[in-house]
Amino acid sequence: MRNLSAVVAGIGALALAACQPADTPDEATATSETPAALSTDFTVDVSYHRLDNGLRVVLSEDNSVPTATVAVYYGVGFRNEPRGRTGFAHLFEHLMFQGSRNLPHGAFDGLIYGNGGVNNGSTRYDFTNYYEVVPSNALQAVLWAEADRMAYPDLDEGQLDNQREVVRNEVFVNVINQPYGGWIWIDLPMAANENWHNAHNFYGDLTDLDAASLEDAQAFFDQFYAPNNAVIVVAGNIDKGETLGWIEEFFGHIEPGEALPEIDVSEPRQEEEKFAVREDALANQPALAVGYHMPPRGTPEYYAMILIDQLLVQGDDSRLTQAVVNEEGYASGVFGGINLLGNAFNYNGPMLWTVGLIHDSEFTVSEVMTTIDATIEDIRTRPVTEADLERARTKLLSDFYGTVDTATRFGLVDLLASFALFDDDPSRINRITDGFQDVTPELVMATAQEYLRPTNRTVLEVRLADDDAAPADAE
Amino acid sequence: MSKTLIRAALSAASLALLPATALAQVHEQPPIGEPVAFELPQTRNFTLENGLEVTFIPFGLAPTVDISLQVRAGNIDDGSQTWLADLTAAMMEEGAGGLSKEELARSIASMGGSINVGVGTHTTGLSTNVLSQYGPDAVALLASVVTAPNLDERDFDRVRANLVRDVDVSRAQPGSIATEAYRRLMYGADHPYGNTLPTEDQLRSYTMEDVRSFYAGHFGAGRSRLYVAGRFDEAAMEAAIRDAFGAWTAGEPDNVYPAVASVSSARVMLIDRPGAPQTTLRLGFPIAGLGSPDEANITVMNALLGGSFTSRLTRNLREDKGYTYSPGSGATWMLDGGLWTFNADVTAADTAAALRETFFEIERMQTETPAHDEAQGIRNWLAGIFILQNASTGGLIGQVSTRDLFGLPQDYLDQYVPHILAVSDEAISQTARRYLPLERMTLVLVGDLATIREEVLALPQLADAEIIEPGAE
Repeated sequence: MRNLSAVVAGIGALALAACQPADTPDEATATSETPAALSTDFTVDVSYHRLDNGLRVVLSEDNSVPTATVAVYYGVGFRNEPRGRTGFAHLFEHLMFQGSRNLPHGAFDGLIYGNGGVNNGSTRYDFTNYYEVVPSNALQAVLWAEADRMAYPDLDEGQLDNQREVVRNEVFVNVINQPYGGWIWIDLPMAANENWHNAHNFYGDLTDLDAASLEDAQAFFDQFYAPNNAVIVVAGNIDKGETLGWIEEFFGHIEPGEALPEIDVSEPRQEEEKFAVREDALANQPALAVGYHMPPRGTPEYYAMILIDQLLVQGDDSRLTQAVVNEEGYASGVFGGINLLGNAFNYNGPMLWTVGLIHDSEFTVSEVMTTIDATIEDIRTRPVTEADLERARTKLLSDFYGTVDTATRFGLVDLLASFALFDDDPSRINRITDGFQDVTPELVMATAQEYLRPTNRTVLEVRLADDDAAPADAE
Repeated sequence: MSKTLIRAALSAASLALLPATALAQVHEQPPIGEPVAFELPQTRNFTLENGLEVTFIPFGLAPTVDISLQVRAGNIDDGSQTWLADLTAAMMEEGAGGLSKEELARSIASMGGSINVGVGTHTTGLSTNVLSQYGPDAVALLASVVTAPNLDERDFDRVRANLVRDVDVSRAQPGSIATEAYRRLMYGADHPYGNTLPTEDQLRSYTMEDVRSFYAGHFGAGRSRLYVAGRFDEAAMEAAIRDAFGAWTAGEPDNVYPAVASVSSARVMLIDRPGAPQTTLRLGFPIAGLGSPDEANITVMNALLGGSFTSRLTRNLREDKGYTYSPGSGATWMLDGGLWTFNADVTAADTAAALRETFFEIERMQTETPAHDEAQGIRNWLAGIFILQNASTGGLIGQVSTRDLFGLPQDYLDQYVPHILAVSDEAISQTARRYLPLERMTLVLVGDLATIREEVLALPQLADAEIIEPGAE
């Protein structure tokens, strides 16, 4: 993440999202008839193009508010960064804001903010994105500016040193100087994954950040920041023909890059339960995180797992909330999900389903794990009811609407870009519910049997630094 | 509209004539077009006989509806029992109308939502977001939570233990530590604004009787406003609201709150966090409130100084010096005035240097009228993000409910952008002089004092300040 912004709530924090079938939710508890006047149709306008240089273009028109959202997604993320250069994908994200051939340092931000917009960028497992929302009269200039930095970013030693310090402070404020800093989104995947591409510290070891050079930046840019490894999405108050013309004009001349090096990001099937401990000198209360490897993206089991996530951990009605919070009082809340740095759709490789909680010292890890285990074993051995599944689908649908209908449209463009980048099919957004239609109670149980095995998980304990009495067990 | 179509046609035509090999980089920035008008959605208000005021805001693309009830029962009503409002809200989440917490959660989840009861400085908010067709049912559930919460003694110990744990977790975070100290320094221990976190002993002293009494004294239709935003059937929702809330009692009249003490000298608090790699800082001053003649001046001054990514403090401390990742300033509006606060987490070794640059930027803004282009860029930015602030159901509810809570005129939001654009370049400097007097600063630093103390205390702007070190001799 390039910067934090409190100005427009929710910017940059794409909600944990998901979605679901179009049929009607649980009739047992919701009794209203849908009035004839109230349409529940919702379709995203999608048009998809590819320039000669390989740049994929997604356009989505919606004239309800006179703004336009632009997002450029590059197919490079944590998994692609070189050994010895952990955190480099993110550091490079910062450099992309430092100026380009026709926009000296500061001019890009001046263009966006000075015309009433906001911008940001973020780095994730499988992409790095740059996005802005502006009043729609500034769209043409913004497209030109994005093209300028895709073609000729100004990679400069002084800017590298400056952003290295900014990133060091970012790591301090988000990880090193915070209790629990990064425990569930850095420490847990590092412990759970075997393949270096998934298991390294993607925020970066400080020594690796110090070692990053301008030559590294140029090589990284040349390899990954080519139009044939990118998607641009423009959504909002736009004229699609005109917008496509501008994109052709500003991006069309950029030379495609060479084919990307193949990397093997696969994870072996986990056969034994793993345990990890983090001693936390800053925390006041112990915490516990559990991560299970997900089924491969797009499989029937993957859709079942998304519903399982809803059943077990999302919302006040979830089973783990009921057991751990309401019944036992171990914690104030249980949280988690699929891909904690995004959602169930915007990644493309191995991923964890995660549960976490902060619990009182008076409860042992064994006690808490016993309750979690009982809840998980139940879903592995007893079929869920159709009503439970239907409620899970309804929550997904509501989350999906919450993701795609926001002031900035960042959630919308994120899904469009992800489906273009990973599936070459952004119109999937209008069929996003299909995979959930076919999930049966039997499939839920079979998926839980394989993927919620204790031997498919990693348990991470956060222990207080002076907590010598804490039992080391979780068996 | 016709202009756009012509431009589109021209652009498509020129594209067709252009051979692919002729594509070359465009070096000139394309022009910015004429701004497109933005209009706030029409709202509709009505009031029930018991005093409940209702606002409908039809807006949005997806078939969902946001329902939010704002009750004037916030931390300002805690009195000396800090977070009693939070404890009451947490108990209200434990079930209502005979439904257990789990039954309630399932019922609202089957509509696509959850009911959250959240406490702010001035209000308790009950809100949910559900699929449009379930709006009337969700209204009934939400009404039951606010008018007939179970408030069952059996849940009390667990709920209170949750708050004790949450406060303990907060107190481990440098940001919470800094904010707690800053607010205490600014408002004192006797005003609710000066008490952001309770002590554990305080929380453990609260009883079920305290909660029942807080609920009875602060909840009622006469202190509440209901906002509905999204896509919904207005007639069905109005009927559901009249049905669900019609019998609710008006409740007690609003409380009278103690006045806020003024700040007459500079105070600096140093809180030790040995080994911390960063110093967490809060620097602030009292300001005039929402609706005051200086509101727009303060908003523009803040955005230019530290409230935007292109602000001077961000450009200097971050983009030039690399001292910090997330510097930022903002206004916190109180019923009685407000606060302007600058926040940052800076590298420990650079703490004094970061403060020096912060004071420099404040003094520069006070003594030099900003360049017109720079000031115009910031006014444009505020005008532009006003669209974003009003382009979602949640944003609209936030904007309209703030207007209502602070008793601002009905056309306040319509006049917001014109007021911002009317702030002169000179007024920005005048406002910085009026509201940011360094000789009356309130400054809190949470960090490794062994590293930062000496250099910080040598700063000339701190020469006459009262230096407070909790726990020191």
